[in-house]
Amino acid sequence: MLFIGMQFVIWSVTGAYMVFFDIDYIHGDSLIVNHQTKIQPEKLTYPTQTLFQQYPQAENLSVGMLINREVYRFNIDKQKFMLDATNGQQLSPITESSALAVAKHFYSGDGEVINARLITENPPFELSSRHLPAWRINFDNFGSPALYISANSGKVVTKRHEFWRLFDWMFRFHVMDYDDGENVSNWFLFIIALLAQFAVLSGLVLTYFKVIKPAFTNNKKRGNSATFNGQDKPLNNGGES
Amino acid sequence: MMFWTKKIHKWASLLIGLQLLIWVFSGLVFNVIDHKKARGNAYRQAPAASEHRVAEKDLLPVESILKAYPDTVELTQTKLLAKPYYLLTQQQGLYRHFANRYLLINAVTGELTKVSEQLASNIAKASYNGPGEITSIALLTANIADYPKQKNPTWRINFSDDLETSVYVEQGSGRLVGHSNSDKRFAGFFFMLHFMDYGDEGSFNNIQIMLFAFVTLWLALSGGIWTVHMVRNGRYRLKASR
Repeated sequence: MLFIGMQFVIWSVTGAYMVFFDIDYIHGDSLIVNHQTKIQPEKLTYPTQTLFQQYPQAENLSVGMLINREVYRFNIDKQKFMLDATNGQQLSPITESSALAVAKHFYSGDGEVINARLITENPPFELSSRHLPAWRINFDNFGSPALYISANSGKVVTKRHEFWRLFDWMFRFHVMDYDDGENVSNWFLFIIALLAQFAVLSGLVLTYFKVIKPAFTNNKKRGNSATFNGQDKPLNNGGES
Repeated sequence: MMFWTKKIHKWASLLIGLQLLIWVFSGLVFNVIDHKKARGNAYRQAPAASEHRVAEKDLLPVESILKAYPDTVELTQTKLLAKPYYLLTQQQGLYRHFANRYLLINAVTGELTKVSEQLASNIAKASYNGPGEITSIALLTANIADYPKQKNPTWRINFSDDLETSVYVEQGSGRLVGHSNSDKRFAGFFFMLHFMDYGDEGSFNNIQIMLFAFVTLWLALSGGIWTVHMVRNGRYRLKASR
């Protein structure tokens, strides 16, 4: 127990954190308002035929909303574009004030915006590089919530708060991956878990001989049913031995 | 203090000893299994590209589609069996596996398309490169054991192969949810044990695991204190015993 006791404490603390906090809350689902704003077809006054003339390479065209404005989104090679569907004006990449407006539109919590930052390279661990470039909007509230808005699609690509960041750390400690938190198949975990298996087995044997068996034999001697006192006595004795 | 530490340790061990064994054992299983196999994609292949694709500008214009089907939150494009379709999201969940409502429109003919049993099995076949044939098709609406988080009606297409592959196709969108097979179910069984997810909800936030986790905390902390106590009292004497 000297060798792996610490890991048992880490497993139980990190495991408890992960099961007590609802995973949807951890994922920040409650930070977001799931708007169901409908597209108004009569607003699509910029014809897509014109769009395809202006952008012949446009692919994967979609129609959606940017807050309350109908927009066309499409790709040219890997690059994402967004146009105002009423007049064809290019909206991508969005300005800081648009990013702020989008973030406030979707943010469900309290607190004002602290700052906004455009991330174009070297994203933090919590933002996948495929979402770049993206605006990070930080809000002043419990748990330091942040929304990430894609600069080219104007969509919320992800959200984070401290509870999720802490969860990621908890997971890493739980699987003993002190490297990048992605790998459960590491040798360190294997050796410790193997030792832990022996420790738990020996603990179970101890529990049987020190807790279960004394309680059972004591009850027999007394010749009565398992009253609370009858079980409690041998436990105390065992505790002192 | 040590009296209570030992007492807590004993009671806690009595309550959760067996579960602790299961936790450590299933944890070891995750550590040693082949994670590639456990994804269940042994017989999955990328769908074939279309031979002669229609240029996007020659598809039905999205303006007329949206006029015909108002109440749409988003219109996107998708391909089913290499043919272009418009996917109209009428009710949008936060994630794809949350409840969503879709309309599927053939982008060439404008026909409103339902993902029928036939279409679903063709989509499944196009994603499958194993030796099996389709043995059964069923529409599942809730409690999908292989995909417990999926909240949308989904076709399950079973294949007769050595791995008992099942392919899942979402009814609303025609999206290939994924493949599952005996290797994946083997890992899934241990996840169920590890998460005490006896209701197959695909979640580790259930009441029984919270209770056990709470008691485990007491067991581990009391054990930790006990160990420190024993070290201080010189109960771990390796050198002395030599």
